[in-house]
Amino acid sequence: MKILAIYSNKGGVGKTAAAVNLSYLASQAGFKTLLCDLDPQGSATYYFRIKPKLKSGAKGLIKGGKKTYKNIKGTDYEKLDLLPADISLRNFDITLNKYKRSKKRLNKILTPFKDEYDLIVLDCPVTISILAENIFNAVDNILVPMIPTTLSVRTHRQLLIFCKRKGYDTEKIHTFFSMVDMHKKMHKELMLSASTAFINVLENVIPYLAQIENMGIHREPVTVSSPASMASKAYQGLWNSVEKIISAEKMKGDII
Amino acid sequence: MLANIKFNLPHGYDAQQLISSLADKYAIKKDSYHSEIIICYDTFDWRLFNKSLVLYESRRKMYLRELNKNEIIHSIDISSPPVFIWDFPDSELKNQLAPIIDVRALLRLFNVQSRSTLYLILNQDEKTVLRLSNEEIRSSRDRHAPPLAAHIWLLPVKGYPKYYRGIAKRFEEEGLTISKEDTIYFKGLESVNKKPGIYSTKIDIQLNPDMRADHATRSILKYLLRIIRINETEIEKDIDTEFVHDFRVAIRRTRSALGQIKNVFPSNITNRFKINFSFIFSLTHELRDLDVYLLNEDRYKMRLPPSLRDDINFLFDYLRKKRSKALQRFVRGLKSKKYAKILNDWEEFLNKPKKASPTATNAELRIIDLARNRIYKKYRDILKTGSLIKEDIEDRMLHILRIHCKKLRYLMEFFSSLFPPQEIDTLISQLRKLQDYLGVFNDLRIQEQYLLNITKEFPVDEGQLNNTGMAIRELVNTLSREKMMIKDAFAEIFMDFSSTENKRLFQELFASQIPEVYNENIGHLQQ
Repeated sequence: MKILAIYSNKGGVGKTAAAVNLSYLASQAGFKTLLCDLDPQGSATYYFRIKPKLKSGAKGLIKGGKKTYKNIKGTDYEKLDLLPADISLRNFDITLNKYKRSKKRLNKILTPFKDEYDLIVLDCPVTISILAENIFNAVDNILVPMIPTTLSVRTHRQLLIFCKRKGYDTEKIHTFFSMVDMHKKMHKELMLSASTAFINVLENVIPYLAQIENMGIHREPVTVSSPASMASKAYQGLWNSVEKIISAEKMKGDII
Repeated sequence: MLANIKFNLPHGYDAQQLISSLADKYAIKKDSYHSEIIICYDTFDWRLFNKSLVLYESRRKMYLRELNKNEIIHSIDISSPPVFIWDFPDSELKNQLAPIIDVRALLRLFNVQSRSTLYLILNQDEKTVLRLSNEEIRSSRDRHAPPLAAHIWLLPVKGYPKYYRGIAKRFEEEGLTISKEDTIYFKGLESVNKKPGIYSTKIDIQLNPDMRADHATRSILKYLLRIIRINETEIEKDIDTEFVHDFRVAIRRTRSALGQIKNVFPSNITNRFKINFSFIFSLTHELRDLDVYLLNEDRYKMRLPPSLRDDINFLFDYLRKKRSKALQRFVRGLKSKKYAKILNDWEEFLNKPKKASPTATNAELRIIDLARNRIYKKYRDILKTGSLIKEDIEDRMLHILRIHCKKLRYLMEFFSSLFPPQEIDTLISQLRKLQDYLGVFNDLRIQEQYLLNITKEFPVDEGQLNNTGMAIRELVNTLSREKMMIKDAFAEIFMDFSSTENKRLFQELFASQIPEVYNENIGHLQQ
């Protein structure tokens, strides 16, 4: 079982679109997958036509156990389930702070699901606080979408510095370029320089496409609504790379 | 978690109408049509069925599930259907099957076609909240072939129990019943006239304690004859090695019954068939020995240092050729006039009308009395022989002990229905431990001897022979060392079997009320 966070400390970078499509593609590849929508905005939940509601809210979620399990909803796709978002998750940070071992709480919440699923994908809200530390403690890999802009690159550098200072393994952070406009010279140049400046930058690029934005209309992954589209092909390429990463990790774990 | 439910559709039921009628309350969308050929497998002796397992293939995948349950335990992709366990790719499915099917081949039981149409129940957000599948099972692809069974499946979506319960209730109100039976499996078998579990080598004969001894013995021997007949027809196909094995065991049990259930038939009959079955048994020796070597090829190789493992291939190639000739010889034996006459005469004898006043001295005894007497006598033979085996353990003595054990085991199995199941099973399992030990020792002893002689038969090729010879010598040394180690464990193993607790159980079950039983070896009435 592997846990993958789709995370960014910058908003509007294509996290949810990536989380939704990667989760779907993982389930199609045979991974029994659980997508956890930790973002109070609940976009991933919306894309799957599920109501953003957790019984007992964020507090109930933090307590974990059977109640959390009952919140899980099956999506329209075999092997893909979703833990919906809830508006109360907006205070997740504050609620977490009230508990002992508050930085490792998320790990405890996810433990009961580890037997049932092959892959848990976390669609994370924008945060670099205690919730972020919970995520870093719980996951095997972190996938960061990055728009090739100066600000995005700067934010990513901040994240790496934060992780190093706190002692988190930056090796498990992988980056891919998202919402890329190949007509923009700056995008191309920044992609080139960022690829050399950072480690673990994937070759896969998710272009800025209307098809992806239309997911809000179709309320399903673009890989379902337009499987032959350029957007779908880009996510399929990204999933192929992600699958290699999680499988390689698995092998390493198995040997140990 | 909610489970899939399967509702039976009576023959000719209009499922379409039922599904359409749901539209008054639910939003329904027809989703997809699905057709697949399902091929089901088991071994000849129903090993999977006996463990309540169903193994089937569909769309280049193998699935394992429990009988009468829908959840798949394991599944794997396959490029071609596996026949033996070593044909399976490494997987959890293989690990679970390995100890069950062991060296037996998987045979195709039946194939059926499943055609299903999937419907989605949607909520107001047009999200799927329940799936319905209308499935028909047919014995062939022919559109006009009558369906073997038809069902409607309720496939719940996690987190939406309301819809699942609502529609289940509605179907029940329509008079549909939930199917608990494994329809595909049983209907599939029925379509090819197969009855599951019909063949088993485990002795399962129900005897009545008051039965006349000769009648009970005939029942046992008829049971064994059936196993002999079933296997003799399959041996030539060479599907797996166990047909020869089962045939051989049935012959050995027949010989043992003739020898051990004493004086129930006229002595001329017993003596004639003892010789006849001994002859048939001798036909099997070479083939079975070679089968055992070849089945253990990997284990032999593992006993050798890696550098010598390839050198032993020459030996196994040679044994494979030898086996193919041995099989031909054995099949010729089975087709011979002599074999046919023995078996026909035997069948005729067993089916003869029962005599009201038989001549054999033990024929009219109650079978329970004879069974007790013979089992207890054999048990004492084992204790006596075992106690003679002291520190310096002779191979010959272990061999004699092994034969005694085998005879006792057969007697206990023939007569197990006459005794309390728990007690007899405990004693059989204690005996099995001793037999397993003696069996391992005997295998090592025979293998050592065989390997020492085999090189003399090899065709001349000095270079190859040197390397193979070296590997064989190394193997012989290893076997010899293992044999010594096994010998060291004898005292402890035998002590377990001859424990006071076992003695008490043997006495309680078999020693009491021993009647007067004639034993031809001693020649007088024995108490």
